[in-house]
Amino acid sequence: MEMVVVAPPASGKLEDLKRRFFATPRQAVISLLSLSVIVFLVWKLLNWAVFSAVFDASGGPDACHAASGACWSVIAARWRIIFFGLYPYEEQWRSALACVTVVAMTVLSCIPAFWTGRRIALVWGVGAAVFYVLMKGGLLGLGFVGEEMWGGLALTLFIFVTTCLVGFPLAICLALLRRSELPWISRTTGLIIDGVRSLPLISILFTFAIVLPFALPQWLQGDKLYRVILGSALFFSAYQAEIVRGGMQGVPRGQEEAAMALGLSYWHRISRILLPQAMRNALPATINQFVISFKETSLVIIVGFFEILASGNAAYGTGEWRFAYVEVYAFIAMIYFVFVFSLSRYGAFLERRMSVGER
Amino acid sequence: MTVPTTQEIAVRVEGMSKYYGTFHALRDINLTVARGEKIVVCGPSGSGKSTMIRCINRLEEHNAGSIMVLGTELNDDVGNIDEIRREVGMVFQHFNLFPHMTVLENCVLAPMLVRKMPRAEAEATARRYLEKVRIPEQASKYPGQLSGGQQQRVAIARSLCMQPQIMLFDEPTSALDPEMISEVLDVMVTLASEGMTMICVTHEMGFARRVADRVIFMDAGEIVEEAPPEIFFTSAKSERTQLFLSQVLGH
Repeated sequence: MEMVVVAPPASGKLEDLKRRFFATPRQAVISLLSLSVIVFLVWKLLNWAVFSAVFDASGGPDACHAASGACWSVIAARWRIIFFGLYPYEEQWRSALACVTVVAMTVLSCIPAFWTGRRIALVWGVGAAVFYVLMKGGLLGLGFVGEEMWGGLALTLFIFVTTCLVGFPLAICLALLRRSELPWISRTTGLIIDGVRSLPLISILFTFAIVLPFALPQWLQGDKLYRVILGSALFFSAYQAEIVRGGMQGVPRGQEEAAMALGLSYWHRISRILLPQAMRNALPATINQFVISFKETSLVIIVGFFEILASGNAAYGTGEWRFAYVEVYAFIAMIYFVFVFSLSRYGAFLERRMSVGER
Repeated sequence: MTVPTTQEIAVRVEGMSKYYGTFHALRDINLTVARGEKIVVCGPSGSGKSTMIRCINRLEEHNAGSIMVLGTELNDDVGNIDEIRREVGMVFQHFNLFPHMTVLENCVLAPMLVRKMPRAEAEATARRYLEKVRIPEQASKYPGQLSGGQQQRVAIARSLCMQPQIMLFDEPTSALDPEMISEVLDVMVTLASEGMTMICVTHEMGFARRVADRVIFMDAGEIVEEAPPEIFFTSAKSERTQLFLSQVLGH
């Protein structure tokens, strides 16, 4: 018998496209239709956002009324409010520098070479001090700017970073307490976590900002900003604690037994064996929680803080630019996107890195 | 048999009982192990063998009776527990290597944290023991990259790095593919020949015959029979032992 050898279909890019989208006449029609819809939409969008848009702020709002496209001149005219909120105009370079500081210390602490206790502490200690001095002033010839004047991107970043910095260790404590062998500790912790989780973030922020001062003595109150951050950190930690606990449950019991048999103390067992493996298990959910928290910072508007979204409202809210809200929100969305997307990509990098040696 | 003096006693278990809820897991266990002695513990599954040796380093808590390890009483005193765990190494059925650390890091971790050994010294020790278990070239790999037999040998090296006086083996070959069992047993035989005090829960009767000073048979939470291997395998007194032996040696 003779064997018929059929060559596999040529696999050029073009052949591949043809096979996937134009295999039958009907498929070809659907593909062409979809393509034209996409082209139409993209062209419309580009036309609005680029070709017919007004970029130059010198013409003022009137130039925008005349044009058919996007009015980016609102950003050119108002970007300082979006980025810095109510921060005094001539001091806004400090706020910008503070933002750069936060981004720099976040990036530094994301680099594996900085993952030793001393280096991380140094980065965050110096970073926090620089941020605080720059923002608040009253030192080194910098004018004093109270927390109630802080706003825009700097405030968003500050609330997010401090929420995570306070909330994360708190979450680990809660997770550890929840798995305590003493029932009254684990049950109480469970109650606290479930209690906080069943309250809306808005009500927690409101309570910490407005109600708490009535219950606390003057010297314990602190600034409203720090109370709000505390509330949001508490909220963050309740969710994150459950994520960490889930990660811990994924670590086989034998790991802790091996560590015990080697004579490791409780803290060494937790810090060297349990947590590193638990955090690896919990990483995807943790990144998720960070992303959610970043976006939830916008809720502080209800207690009177002008973070970036609220500052955006203020940017177009003054009569003359009132029509240009779409452009302002699109711009803010881009800023959110840059931060959240970087966070997600960093999470993906961490997952790849941590899967070393894992099968 | 001569009665060992206190100095020579590694482990003395007297009247130990253990309950899981209402289930009586261990009943009145009495066992004395002299320094340098090699004990093999066997018995059907669920007979309490693992539970018994896990009581010796307090991975399980006993409910009655007393356990003395190297002259230290094992009780609720955390200091005592730490002291005993430093001197008692344990090898597990499922190896329990730390998957997020390299082989070398697995080995130096406890000596550095518990014995406060400087890193250079700990690494030198670790490499010596990795050599001993014939696996020095794998030091920089992660456990997940090794075969089961290699992992178990690393686990043995990791325990030895603490320079323990007693080694507990909890079914060290039960989770291994058949062709990897002998490489682990060879290491254990070498260890035994160097005078290590060993208590091994295992079904490897060949190993028991070759190495054990005494074989202990457990069933339903009790020590049923205790004899030197030559007597144990040829003229066991109890019917339960004979039945068990016919089942393991039968084919």
